[in-house]
Amino acid sequence: MSDSSAVEFDLLMRGHVRPLYRYAYRWTGDVDQAEDLVQETLTRLYSELPRVRQIERIRPWAARVMYRIFVDQLRRARRSPVVYVGRSGATGEFLEGEDEPVEASDEAWNPEVLTDQAFELERITAAWARLHEQHRVVLSLHEIEGYSLDEVAHIIEVPVGTAKSRLNRARNRLRTLLNDGTNSSAPACNSPETQ
Amino acid sequence: MVDDLSKLRESLNRMPVPEPREGFVDRVLANASSEIRRPFNWWAAGLGALAATLACVALLWRPADSTQQASVRLALNESRDVSLVIESERALEDATIRLYVTGSVELAGYEQQHEIEWKTSLTRGANLLSLPVIGRTPGDGKVVAEIEHDGRTRRLNVALHVAAPGDDSA
Repeated sequence: MSDSSAVEFDLLMRGHVRPLYRYAYRWTGDVDQAEDLVQETLTRLYSELPRVRQIERIRPWAARVMYRIFVDQLRRARRSPVVYVGRSGATGEFLEGEDEPVEASDEAWNPEVLTDQAFELERITAAWARLHEQHRVVLSLHEIEGYSLDEVAHIIEVPVGTAKSRLNRARNRLRTLLNDGTNSSAPACNSPETQ
Repeated sequence: MVDDLSKLRESLNRMPVPEPREGFVDRVLANASSEIRRPFNWWAAGLGALAATLACVALLWRPADSTQQASVRLALNESRDVSLVIESERALEDATIRLYVTGSVELAGYEQQHEIEWKTSLTRGANLLSLPVIGRTPGDGKVVAEIEHDGRTRRLNVALHVAAPGDDSA
């Protein structure tokens, strides 16, 4: 492709690079992996520049492409005997077959875990690192980035019902990790109020 | 409990995201367009090191030489994890790894199999491949790990010696 294509691609994508990096970091929990994931995504998008031109909302579309790459990397990693050094703590199997409905569980949040903001930030960061990657994806897209369930379902290419159940599972899992006294990354000086 | 959920969202939104490395945006945009036009050059940074269990044998990449070698000694019927550390300058998809196992050693779980091949992706930095090697007969053996991507190949040779019973050099 020509230099003018590179300029056009730059104009189209520049504003989306940092948000994509933010998504990628929350999914991977690692700066290097996040940068690589964004790089792979942009490289793939550049090869599809004629299509990028026609996309009305580039960011969710780019997020969808990045998610596919992310999932491919996870699948390959789990099939291979190669052990990746430096990954964050999530070690669960890839999530599939989640079509069964899960009851919404907002009422199950424990109010006590949300008392001290600074400590809570540490707890959430530690719990986040232990979440399954797929749970991080749906939580980051919906709870942090504000994508609707329909949009999340589109990005991760599952039916809306599956996205909803995955989101509820992710919330439940995060709640469990937050309430888990054995959270390995929690500070040793836990106050009784936050136990 | 909607309020609790909103508090949780606030906390999630406060989770810090570290800054990418300096020049990240310019770099990834430039790379995205240039990678299609220029030859892939990540091998310039090379493959890294090889270590055997506790006895770490570090080998530095030498650009002019595509093959590295280290040696490991085993007792007869001893099983030991030989670790290969593959350093990559960037993430790579669809790298091919081939293992050639010859001589007096075998890989646990792959007995009688002298060539094993699979595709994998490599992350930037260190990728650890742990090989369970068993000394089957006294004498010399070799494990060659070949990593191929985009038509370029690098090779790591692990020379193994399986000591005979009574040979205390293992």
